[in-house]
Amino acid sequence: MTSYSKEVIADLVAGTLPWPQTRRIMSAYKDDDRFFKYVAVLQDRVGWSDPILLPVGDHLFICQSGDERVTKCECGHSFGDYRKNWKLKAAIIVRDSEESLREIYPNSDLPDPEWMEIREFICPECGTLHEVEAAAPGYPIVHDFEPDLEGFYRDWLGKPLEPADKGG
Amino acid sequence: MLDKPASALRIRERLIESERLMDETGCYDGITELELRKQDPLKFETLHTKLRAYCVSAREMARRISASPGVREVGEMVVAIYTPEGDAIALSNGIMVHVHTMSRFIKWMIRNGYEENPQIRDGDIFANNDAFIGTVQVPDVMDVMPIFHSGKLVGWAGAVCHELEAGGITPGGDVALAQERFTEGLFVCAEKVGENDELRRDYVIRCERNLRMPIYWVLDEKAKVASCIDMRESVKALIDEIGLDYWMQVSKEFIEEGRRAQLARTRQLTVPGIYRGHTFYGHVTAGKPGYQPLGDPDWLYNIPIEMEITSDGKIVMDFEGTQPWGYHSMNCTPAGMDGGMFVTLTQHMNFEGLVNDGAWMATELKLPKGTWTNPDNEMVATATSWALLLPAYGVFQRLLSRSFIARGFVEEAFVGQVNSPMIEMGGESQYGTPFGMAHFECAAAGSGALAIKDGLDTAYVGWNPESDMGNIEIWEQNMPMLYIGRSIVPNSGGAGKYRGGCSFLSTWLVSKTDHLRLVTSEHSSRVFDNGGLCGGYPAPTCQKHRAVRDSNIFELAENRAPLAHHTGTNPYRSELEVRLEGEHVTLEGPYITAPHKTGDVFTHSYNGGGGYGDVLERDPVKTAWDVENGFLTKEAAEGIFGIVLDEDEEGFPVANLEATKRHRAEMRAKRLARARPVSEWIAKERERVKAADFAPEVQKMYASAIKLSPRFTKDFSAFWDVDAKSTFGVE
Repeated sequence: MTSYSKEVIADLVAGTLPWPQTRRIMSAYKDDDRFFKYVAVLQDRVGWSDPILLPVGDHLFICQSGDERVTKCECGHSFGDYRKNWKLKAAIIVRDSEESLREIYPNSDLPDPEWMEIREFICPECGTLHEVEAAAPGYPIVHDFEPDLEGFYRDWLGKPLEPADKGG
Repeated sequence: MLDKPASALRIRERLIESERLMDETGCYDGITELELRKQDPLKFETLHTKLRAYCVSAREMARRISASPGVREVGEMVVAIYTPEGDAIALSNGIMVHVHTMSRFIKWMIRNGYEENPQIRDGDIFANNDAFIGTVQVPDVMDVMPIFHSGKLVGWAGAVCHELEAGGITPGGDVALAQERFTEGLFVCAEKVGENDELRRDYVIRCERNLRMPIYWVLDEKAKVASCIDMRESVKALIDEIGLDYWMQVSKEFIEEGRRAQLARTRQLTVPGIYRGHTFYGHVTAGKPGYQPLGDPDWLYNIPIEMEITSDGKIVMDFEGTQPWGYHSMNCTPAGMDGGMFVTLTQHMNFEGLVNDGAWMATELKLPKGTWTNPDNEMVATATSWALLLPAYGVFQRLLSRSFIARGFVEEAFVGQVNSPMIEMGGESQYGTPFGMAHFECAAAGSGALAIKDGLDTAYVGWNPESDMGNIEIWEQNMPMLYIGRSIVPNSGGAGKYRGGCSFLSTWLVSKTDHLRLVTSEHSSRVFDNGGLCGGYPAPTCQKHRAVRDSNIFELAENRAPLAHHTGTNPYRSELEVRLEGEHVTLEGPYITAPHKTGDVFTHSYNGGGGYGDVLERDPVKTAWDVENGFLTKEAAEGIFGIVLDEDEEGFPVANLEATKRHRAEMRAKRLARARPVSEWIAKERERVKAADFAPEVQKMYASAIKLSPRFTKDFSAFWDVDAKSTFGVE
């Protein structure tokens, strides 16, 4: 079975692994022990001790926080129950004018703000931009991902999660 | 297994039986055990490798027979080998989207009694380009030939070339103005077009008399037939070697193995659950000449996708909530949707083991009847179905990528494909002959970013993983235009920690013709049709075309004065306007207008891909390189990415790391000050929703989605706490 050291996975995740090595990893058989090494790498990165159960973004994780499972920013800010859409608890900047769109697209042709806006979902504590939606005005905010967390650990990883009292 | 001599109805019965077995056992053709694989895995694998080699070799040979620069230069071709029932066993590289659409074509003939009439015999050639039978759009012309051994039908060989001209209402193959199928061009509807390994003369004459430039189509037909014969003879020789019974069993096991491998790979690479995403496509043709009267000139489509990854590893994609089909050329058929799924899977998950129709069997598409994904009217046009298909499967790529990120396979996460606006043309060539063709340099757009690096610049499209723009000199041989510029468009990749791949822009001088019609398609005007991921922005996609009629370019050249080679980076005044005199035209969306002639200048640009991650985390050193090489402007580096660049002693940009750190801290603080709680925004926006205070196209988009989809209606109503139906006046 293919396997890589935690250091290699850390460099891969950070985007600092030399390209020839990355390319070899992409072409080789996948390493079946990736998930837990990956989570361990991310756990080292965060400044808090709640165990990460599932990464759901570049700086966004579902973690076990006491007896709750919550979506948490890398800075430690909690967006609440992981089964709810974290975006609804975020801060937002909406670009719905030519002026505000031009800030991101300085030399490009722009969409018509009457037809489309950009919504930036931001951590209200650290200011990390977690997700960008491009949507028609009035379009409901999308709940990107509802993982089958219990099923994943139980059926695919073979390591069932301890029951949680709240938040899943 | 076809273990009896071929006879009337035998294949149809076999097909029905195969599907029944699949339903009952969940395994392809009822194969619950891979017995031959178990007996001798090395022989099993070696045989599939041989089949794949037959396909690759046949395709390469065919590319050298083809007349079309699309096929020769860009590789717009694929070949595959099928079971008697029409399931793909092995395939070549190339436009793999058509592997499963060809499967549909073969099954369609079987279901429609072709064994009896017109009969299926050794040496027959059948062709099709009807998307309701099995292809994506009218220029995708597929030829299949049955493979007989010892008097039995033992399989099919098939080949597809994307033709550069289809004889429709506008020249080229992506017939932009087609309103119904009757304007799309030359249809070949699952016809027997040849016997005894030879194309029928009457079929060739029909092509010659219905196409603007039949040389492409006709020579491509010969290329496809040659590749089919080559594969057929190779398979027959293989059967001589391994025995007919073994072949009939192993070919089925290959597919079941492919199905199991796909399920296993999904379980290995992803996380089960529900994933959601959306994209949009907007079309603007109001007032453009030649636009057909039935359809709405300007419209907006919403493409929401809900993907479920089940606990057994099945991927289910549901398009409920999307828009109805329309009187335009951008509808798709279930065959096209299948093709999109197949080509995406082959690129993103099937990078090892057997690749064949088994992968497709481990997925399911839910295509609501009456939508553009599954029109309940077979008269609709599908000539530019890629306009909606590409954005839709770009969403699929982003959804898959989210699952790869969750699982830890960050090196596979890919923000995805973008639309590839295409330019087509017709009229009188530089040789004084009638002509018509599509230009396929669009096969090299910018890709979305990866989760570990920037996207590919000018090197990717979703529909052809080989993604080659071709040589300028070859394109110039085929069209009455000369390149006076082909340049990277700075900032055309979506911004992010890793930016999307940049696109390019071509600038041409119309040459040696008094009649050149230029028509472009697949432009998503007024909206982004791609997206970013994890904080990355979408790439700009709003396309404007710039032309100069009756320019003074020859005079400038004679005086050795500077010419315009690109549009520049000033959005308010292009380089063409700065350098050239003449009638300046700027047109949004598809370019459909009066013919051009010698001395006119025209520009066309392609799309870049979406970005990944927060822009404020982008590497300053890499950005300095980007600015030096024209992928980003200095203005964007500072204003969007917060990277301060100085200049070294030779004038090259150098990142100022300390200043960047300070600038980014300020930008982050400003971002936080500018942002407000989502709950506040929802409360305010709800008032606008209640009043349906939207542009007419947006209102219409919601009304049509609500009319077609109970789920969209429920979700919309619940989110905004409104009655969606009464808000948009839907009965």
